[in-house]
Amino acid sequence: MTKIVRDMVLIVGFSALVGLGVNALSPAGISLVGEWDVSKGVVSPNSKSQPVSRDIEIGTVAEAYALFKEKSVVFVDARDEAAFRQGHIEGAVHLFVYDYNTTFPSFMARFPLDQPIVAYCSGRTCEDSHTLARYLKEDGYTDVRVFVDGYPAWEREGLPVEKTD
Amino acid sequence: MKKLTDTLFTNPWLELAARLCLGLVFVYASIHKILDPGSFARIIYGYGLFPAWSINLTAIVLPYVELMAGLCLMAGIVPRSAAVLVEILLLAFIVAISINLIRGHEFDCGCFSFQQDSNAAAGKELLLRDMLWFAVGIVAVFSRSRRKFSLMK
Repeated sequence: MTKIVRDMVLIVGFSALVGLGVNALSPAGISLVGEWDVSKGVVSPNSKSQPVSRDIEIGTVAEAYALFKEKSVVFVDARDEAAFRQGHIEGAVHLFVYDYNTTFPSFMARFPLDQPIVAYCSGRTCEDSHTLARYLKEDGYTDVRVFVDGYPAWEREGLPVEKTD
Repeated sequence: MKKLTDTLFTNPWLELAARLCLGLVFVYASIHKILDPGSFARIIYGYGLFPAWSINLTAIVLPYVELMAGLCLMAGIVPRSAAVLVEILLLAFIVAISINLIRGHEFDCGCFSFQQDSNAAAGKELLLRDMLWFAVGIVAVFSRSRRKFSLMK
């Protein structure tokens, strides 16, 4: 019995050492503690390749709506085709994050690099808005923010939406 | 009945088969988690059962525990202890899945791949699968036979 416990402690301890070591060196590694508090913004494992940037987050629907009313801001929807068709923020441009490379050229042709942009997806448990914002920044856009509560909250508040048939 | 249990726990080939199958399943299940710890952390978060501070650490360490325990089982390195560890893990998975099925919380198990969808039917299926593996593990734990092709007992 004690041998079994001792062996198990050894296996788990060795695994923990290897796991932590590989995680520290691997480009796919993640922080030891992630960002899992929805009250703070979009949740994320905070991986090395996809760090969360809280400073670009728009934390309330009211703030997002204020930007919406400015008209100079363009909203981009990171969700897939089906979700976008079912309903999106009025006037939003569809830039499905997993199709970015094919849809980006036409977006770039339409909007200058200093265009203020607000990316969104389906809320605080969805990281796609952050991923999309990062892609846009990497491609030269300078004013990109993330509306953390995304489409569900916008729709719930009865704010302007449109559907594509 | 007695005869059946005798065969189950004394046949060295059954013991070997149980170890190899269970070991292979654990090694296989660990690989995609090791390659993408971020997605696995998200899955653990999706279970809605674990405190925030523990999620990333679990995502970093658990896949390696699965890998090492699986390799130990297959190679016969402290096979009984590795089998007990695998049973403890399976039991923990069974409890976690059951809690979420009972409270109707939809989740993606993240067992063998990271899927987009999840539903209760998949949850039940995977509960049955884990129970089946748990049963296989019992043979590996309690076998009284000489363990074949075992490197280090």
